[in-house]
Amino acid sequence: MRQSPKSPYVSGKALLNGTPVNASPMAESTSAPVVEGREGRRRNRSPRSAGARSEGKTAALGRRAVELSRFYQGKVETVPKVPVRSLRDFALWYTPGVAEVSRAIQADPDLSFDLTGRWNTIAIVTDGSRVLGLGDIGPRAALPVMEGKALLFKWLGGVDAVPLPIVAKTPESFIATVEALAPAFGGINLEDIASPKCFGILEELQKRLPIPVWHDDQLGTAASTIAGLLNALELTHRSVREVRTVLLGAGAANLVTARLLLALGHDPHRLSVVDQRGVLHAERDDVDELMLRNPWKYRVALETDGGGRTGDLARAVEGADVLLAASTPDPHTIRPEHLRSMAREPIVFALANPVPEIWPEVANAAGAAIVATGRSDFPNQVNNSLIFPAVFRGVLDARARTIPDEIVLAAARELARHAQDRGLSTTHILPTMDETEVFPYVAAAVGDASVQLGIARRRLSHDEFYERARTLMGRSVRLVRALARARLTPPMPTQKALALRKEG
Amino acid sequence: MNASNETNAGGPSETPSIPIHLRAARAGDIPALVPLLLRLKRLNEEFDPLLKVRDDAEQQANDVLRAQLADPKAVILAAEGVGADKDKVVGFVRALVRERPFYTPEWEGVIVDIYMLPLYRRRGVGEYLLREISSALKAKGAGVVTAEFPSQNEIASRFYAKRGFRPIQSLHARSL
Repeated sequence: MRQSPKSPYVSGKALLNGTPVNASPMAESTSAPVVEGREGRRRNRSPRSAGARSEGKTAALGRRAVELSRFYQGKVETVPKVPVRSLRDFALWYTPGVAEVSRAIQADPDLSFDLTGRWNTIAIVTDGSRVLGLGDIGPRAALPVMEGKALLFKWLGGVDAVPLPIVAKTPESFIATVEALAPAFGGINLEDIASPKCFGILEELQKRLPIPVWHDDQLGTAASTIAGLLNALELTHRSVREVRTVLLGAGAANLVTARLLLALGHDPHRLSVVDQRGVLHAERDDVDELMLRNPWKYRVALETDGGGRTGDLARAVEGADVLLAASTPDPHTIRPEHLRSMAREPIVFALANPVPEIWPEVANAAGAAIVATGRSDFPNQVNNSLIFPAVFRGVLDARARTIPDEIVLAAARELARHAQDRGLSTTHILPTMDETEVFPYVAAAVGDASVQLGIARRRLSHDEFYERARTLMGRSVRLVRALARARLTPPMPTQKALALRKEG
Repeated sequence: MNASNETNAGGPSETPSIPIHLRAARAGDIPALVPLLLRLKRLNEEFDPLLKVRDDAEQQANDVLRAQLADPKAVILAAEGVGADKDKVVGFVRALVRERPFYTPEWEGVIVDIYMLPLYRRRGVGEYLLREISSALKAKGAGVVTAEFPSQNEIASRFYAKRGFRPIQSLHARSL
């Protein structure tokens, strides 16, 4: 699901996905993205070759990423944001002048959002327990990925993000560490933490910290899924309140998608969640084990009964309107006969990466009315990069205290609305990553929602949120380009140049 | 009403909002009780390898339930659902009256199993089960009620602690 947008600077994430390994099948999908390009845009290729081609391409990109990482040695750095005319200015920026700034914050801690960079600074925190599709590779190996995410945050959202992998053996020590770091940050982005511990960590940190805490694999993916689904339903003249939906996979994303669907008024009796053991329900044999090991999944098992359906995917999808898969990167997970047994004009989201649970061509041939995937080389890419930069821009500008589901849904609805403005079609249910003009609107919707919910420290008007977001988002792009023009970031060396350099 | 009642109960005098019907179990309930008893034992298995469920547990469950239904020192209550689930056994509680030769009170009622299907938990159901089994044990002469469950089962620990139970004896184990 997680994809890199088209930007020469965004390489970290995409290129690390040589061999996606899915530790727990049918859980959350791997997030190994496939990088888009001219080739990927062609429609007339066979499904199988698309897979093979993308594998070869991913390997080549991986080699290039390693070379470039060696050349640039990191993707983000600290850049001053105040003038420094001479060392004497440090009497203001640093001691003795700064002491007065500290005293002011001591008297009113919320002033840390006005007098320091806290208002725009977040930490990207991981324990490295589930990095991309690579599994538990640890905090050191996770750093390049966190750097890539930090770059994305800056480029798309104008957010200063600090990559911060930490050594934490238990969820408790992870939580305590993040809590201890919070004074420096206006928000926390949890990244690449294994399910189900990611649920408890997010819940507890949201409870303890006075700043927004977000986990993209849960909230970002679910929000973009919901946005796409709302439009798919709109296009096929159905409402979330009346459809029968099957969620395939019970990992971080789908468990949150289930929660959001119920919040949107989806009938729990028409909602089934299917994992590798079949339909999740309150009387399944492993339900007590879930209560102990995965209370979040347990909760969903109790809340969704799919109208008493049990059994496997085939049984669950009979007559269903919607199938949302976030499971295993295997194109045969969903079979044409599954789709043929669904209701008229079935909607299918096959979000596993790099390989969807069914190829879109196959799904369309089996009668799917609308197909979405996690890939940018097919229409309707469900991509959490459509959500997280704008959500953070919005909550940071509102100086929000937290991110409740209402905010997540506000972002999803706004995103959906912009695809509508451009004209919905079966191949356009979501904005693409090229439609960057959408981001400030989503940020403003998030800012508005924060104010309405009473969680904003700063109450701006809709126009102020929008203008601020547009300015700050645009500023990052200008900054990156200015640094390049000034040759402060060297131009990207060709492969040949790098090879020569190595020899030399 | 104290804080614990928000999640777990109406108070002692209220009827649970998911009404279940509790009654003495009968021989005819055994086929429905066995799977519930096995679910509980498999849950216990999660807590300690020394609580590994035997391969013949199903037969054992049948035999034990049959014997105890005829034993005046045992109490087994079956919980039935209501409405669409009427006549469906959705949980049970099993307790034994034991003599305490050296302590007083002399007779102890031991709750050995208490299990409800997930959809019938909370909303005062546990409270109701406990109240009913306690009266049944008292009627059989017990002056103290105890509960046996795996030490690592914190959910059970909290459930009983909230209802005035405290640990009085420990059972420690190691393999031989």
